[in-house]
Amino acid sequence: MEVVVMGIGFCGSFPASGGLSYRELIARAASMAYEDAGLAASEIDGAVSVEEDFNSGYSIADEYVPDQIGMARKPIYTICGDFLHGIASAVMQIRTGQFKTLVVEAYSKASNVLTKDEVLHFAYDPAFGRLGVTPHYLAGIEMQHFLGSSAYSPADVAEVVVANRSAAIGNALAPYGARLGLSDVLGARPVATPVTELMIARPADAAVVAVLGAADAATNARRPVRIAGTGWASGNSIIEHRNHAYSSGSMIAARMAYSEAGLKSPAEECGVFYVSDIYAHRQLMHIEALGITKDALPFVNPDGGALGSGDMYEATGGARFFDAVKMLRGEAGAHQLEGVARAAVHGWRGLPTDSCAVAVLEATE
Amino acid sequence: MSIKGNRVAVIGAGMTRFVRRAEEAPGELAARAAQMALDDAGLTIDDIDAVCLGTAPDAFDGVHMKGEHLIAGAGATHKPYLRHYVGGGTGVMSPIHGWMHVASGKFKTCLVVAEEKMSPCNPHPAGAFLTIFDHTTEQALELTLIHIFGIEMSRFMHVYGYTEEEIALVSVLCKKNALDHPAAQIAQKITVKDVMNSPLLSWPVKRLDISPTSDAAVAIVLTNEHIARTHCKAPVFIEGVGFRLDTAYWCTRDLGFPNYVAMAARDAYEMAGISRPADQIDIFEPYDPFDYKALHHMNALLLDKTGRRTKELLFSGALERDGSHPMCPSGGALGVGNPIAATGLMKIAELYFQISGQAGKRQVKKDVHRGVAQAWGDLMQVGTVVVMGSEGAMPRRKTFWSEAKPEDLAGTALKDVKDVPHIEYTPDLRYAWDNGYALTTYLDGFKNGKIRGSRCGSCGRLMIPARAFCEICNLRPVTEYYDLADTGTVQTFTLSHVNWDSSPLPKGQVKIIAVIAIDGATPEMGLCHVLSEIAPKDVTWGMRVKAVWKPQAERTGTVTDIRYFRPLGKNEKVDATPAPIKPVELDAATAKAYPGRIPMSYVYTAGLGGSKFFTDLAKGKLSGTHCPHCDAVHIPPAAFCEYGMIALDPKGGARALEPRSGVIAAFSIVHEDRAGHLLDEPQVVVQVAFPGAVGSVFGRLQTKTGDTIEVGMKVELVRSGKAAGPEHVWFKVRK
Ligand SMILES: [Zn+2]
Ligand SMILES: [Zn+2]
Repeated sequence: MEVVVMGIGFCGSFPASGGLSYRELIARAASMAYEDAGLAASEIDGAVSVEEDFNSGYSIADEYVPDQIGMARKPIYTICGDFLHGIASAVMQIRTGQFKTLVVEAYSKASNVLTKDEVLHFAYDPAFGRLGVTPHYLAGIEMQHFLGSSAYSPADVAEVVVANRSAAIGNALAPYGARLGLSDVLGARPVATPVTELMIARPADAAVVAVLGAADAATNARRPVRIAGTGWASGNSIIEHRNHAYSSGSMIAARMAYSEAGLKSPAEECGVFYVSDIYAHRQLMHIEALGITKDALPFVNPDGGALGSGDMYEATGGARFFDAVKMLRGEAGAHQLEGVARAAVHGWRGLPTDSCAVAVLEATE
Repeated sequence: MSIKGNRVAVIGAGMTRFVRRAEEAPGELAARAAQMALDDAGLTIDDIDAVCLGTAPDAFDGVHMKGEHLIAGAGATHKPYLRHYVGGGTGVMSPIHGWMHVASGKFKTCLVVAEEKMSPCNPHPAGAFLTIFDHTTEQALELTLIHIFGIEMSRFMHVYGYTEEEIALVSVLCKKNALDHPAAQIAQKITVKDVMNSPLLSWPVKRLDISPTSDAAVAIVLTNEHIARTHCKAPVFIEGVGFRLDTAYWCTRDLGFPNYVAMAARDAYEMAGISRPADQIDIFEPYDPFDYKALHHMNALLLDKTGRRTKELLFSGALERDGSHPMCPSGGALGVGNPIAATGLMKIAELYFQISGQAGKRQVKKDVHRGVAQAWGDLMQVGTVVVMGSEGAMPRRKTFWSEAKPEDLAGTALKDVKDVPHIEYTPDLRYAWDNGYALTTYLDGFKNGKIRGSRCGSCGRLMIPARAFCEICNLRPVTEYYDLADTGTVQTFTLSHVNWDSSPLPKGQVKIIAVIAIDGATPEMGLCHVLSEIAPKDVTWGMRVKAVWKPQAERTGTVTDIRYFRPLGKNEKVDATPAPIKPVELDAATAKAYPGRIPMSYVYTAGLGGSKFFTDLAKGKLSGTHCPHCDAVHIPPAAFCEYGMIALDPKGGARALEPRSGVIAAFSIVHEDRAGHLLDEPQVVVQVAFPGAVGSVFGRLQTKTGDTIEVGMKVELVRSGKAAGPEHVWFKVRK
């Protein structure tokens, strides 16, 4: 059964968003998605939200999902992961044949979390992983492993930052567009060597909402985009056992999505890749695991990625997904690429995980 | 039957014992349940295509993103893995999410795991429930779960005419049924009198009306029909699923009847081809965290709003195991225990055992073709329902599960977490919530001594709290704001003797918590608050009350600017006409954020693997655990291998390693502390490998200024001589 993106909505991203409650932020993105899908909330069968308790500040954050997407009393559940994990779960749900249309929602009010590093430190294993220092330590360990076992140099990592922040200058939704030099990035304040402050995406607030539908139910959609394949997988959660030089989660997720989409050489068959860059070295790790080479870089994260538009917690991959849908419809604005018919979108859960998801999207005309 | 897509079967189940405090770490509990389910299904972890895991609030286990933390234990290493949650409804959502994995045709097999470890919460898991309430409009009232249960139970008794004694019959039934369950935590023979005489917590809720907090994990294996028929004599099919989530504005909910559960049940029945549930379903596993909840849910599962049928069944003994409609034959949450998500999946496992004839002493007398399990949760808000059945009732069979005894299950009960190596930890979790447009005007109302609402132009509801859009009218913008009267009518109430963290109130003190419909708002629309100036025994449903405000100078723009509500005098006049107002204009001065905090603190066990590591470390020793699956020694010591999903013995399988033989595999010089503040002196985090072992140990390196650190450098583990915990893991460079 073919599943398509019927509509998409986004509100953000903002370094802070005082004046909009989280409900109002999400309702804004949801209204946009419903308008785009040509459906009212009441016509949609159910919803999948993507949230984590301590990012939202609630215990069992799923309680506060239904209202601002207009879905009270409908079948709704919440998963943890990146927005793309939510997409993957919703596609499965539609393919059971019991649901025709579903909403997927994720948001970030990162600016409302006053102790972000404390929250991240709290994600580590209480018995072995909470070392009492910055939770970015694992990024330092990863980057060192990665550089030690690949042909990449610290300058290549810095180049990712330079490229993405500069791409974001042309993206009106990205607050962190900037023209930087390699030396700015390499010489920036060290956080957890070799990772510097500029190699870490800055937090941002945003909401992203997508309406998915079985292709035969999506007749109202203005310009549907096909979800040709989805895949997701997790690396080892025991960091003492994980290979930190390689993103197994990305590799397995990508293979699953490519194979479902029938791709043989994805690097050639996808016109654009959106890849998680919450840490700059991770973009390089991810493109390696996705089977693309450094030469394809101009077609990676044309919207500026998370380095350009912000780390939006669960919504981070959603910002890439939003841009990919726009790109395939020819609506990406200043950073529109010519002749792109297929996109691969990758999302990562952030540290301390190696949980990743990939979706292959295709234009329908 | 009208199931579209692929049929999905349960072919195996596993679980740990349900205990108040488990020594095992969360992943260790999950691993034992997962391994057992695989064994029961006759599969190995390599046969599993995908894993999904259910667990409720992160605040219980005390790990941010705890789904990620549980990956290895759930058997999901290098596999597609998703964690889902819907509060207390999570356990029965778990097989539904697993069903999606297989019914979609995407996967042939899916391992479904549910885990909850509530004991790390210090002093009590109830504290985690403070933050289920709206951070901006409700948390200041310091409510907890027992309070809303009291409120709901009281409404239920009022609507359906139950006495406390009648409701206690459920507690008696479940705890008795649990005597035959190998995982049971508090199975016992008790009487209605025992329930009535147990300590009063928040009238009408007494200690023995409530299920206990627990640690446990449960797992089941789901497969498509082909694999099920190949591997299993008695596959039990998922015939119908339903799940519904109601609005978070719980004060306007019908607390007498859970419509959202009935809607979920109807969805599941439609899929399963059931139109007369009372006749077509043989056994019932409704969620029973509190005794009245089982009855409340039975009304919904029987689609009977009158409540007559459930009452009849309860009083006639039909809900007993030898009755016509056995209810909670497992022993339920009240008897087996209530590790939230794991409880729901335990009920699914019970349907599997009963329908496949493996329930042993718990096997119900009647033939079982079909059963229903249900869970419930969030802010009295979510219903999850699964109908399971087989082609025909199975003969009673002798299997591992029919004969299982407590000692056959994993799970080590502790008297006190501090009896084993443990780690104390307090996260600093602080927030500031942007109020946004609608709540800025709402909170400004409190400051001005007004309760404010807004009116939807479509449905016409005048809503409290004020909102910017209507949640039931396709997000229609709501633009009319009103000042309302500060008088109203008590819809329901509870008389509480406990604080939000479950600690008792000072003797003789009672906190009266009520849901109050505010005059002039849409009927039954209102807010939750406390009552005073009245004796607890005089509070009634439907009594009229009026807000008592703090003096203007003390008001800050919060719900507690209303000190409490008092009884309205007989001759007091009320003007209930809402007065239209101009909402507050947002600008840099008015757009404020409401302060929030999650006040949790934890005492974690180090787990079986961690215990071995820290006991060794205190003496300056190091060991790994031999794994027959990998034919290797794993460090740190482990109670399971995530690659083969087999149990390991960190003590018996220990292989001594040389603590002075470490080699730096990677390091990072860190400049900030865990909160992001700059360190006076940078510190060095090292990942250290040890020859002869697979894996590594993370810790910090003792350094002096000017030291050079390199990958490959030889280091030794420093004897800690003291307590457990990652902050005690230090290395020093070997000379
Ligand atoms: Zn309305
Ligand atoms: Zn092993």
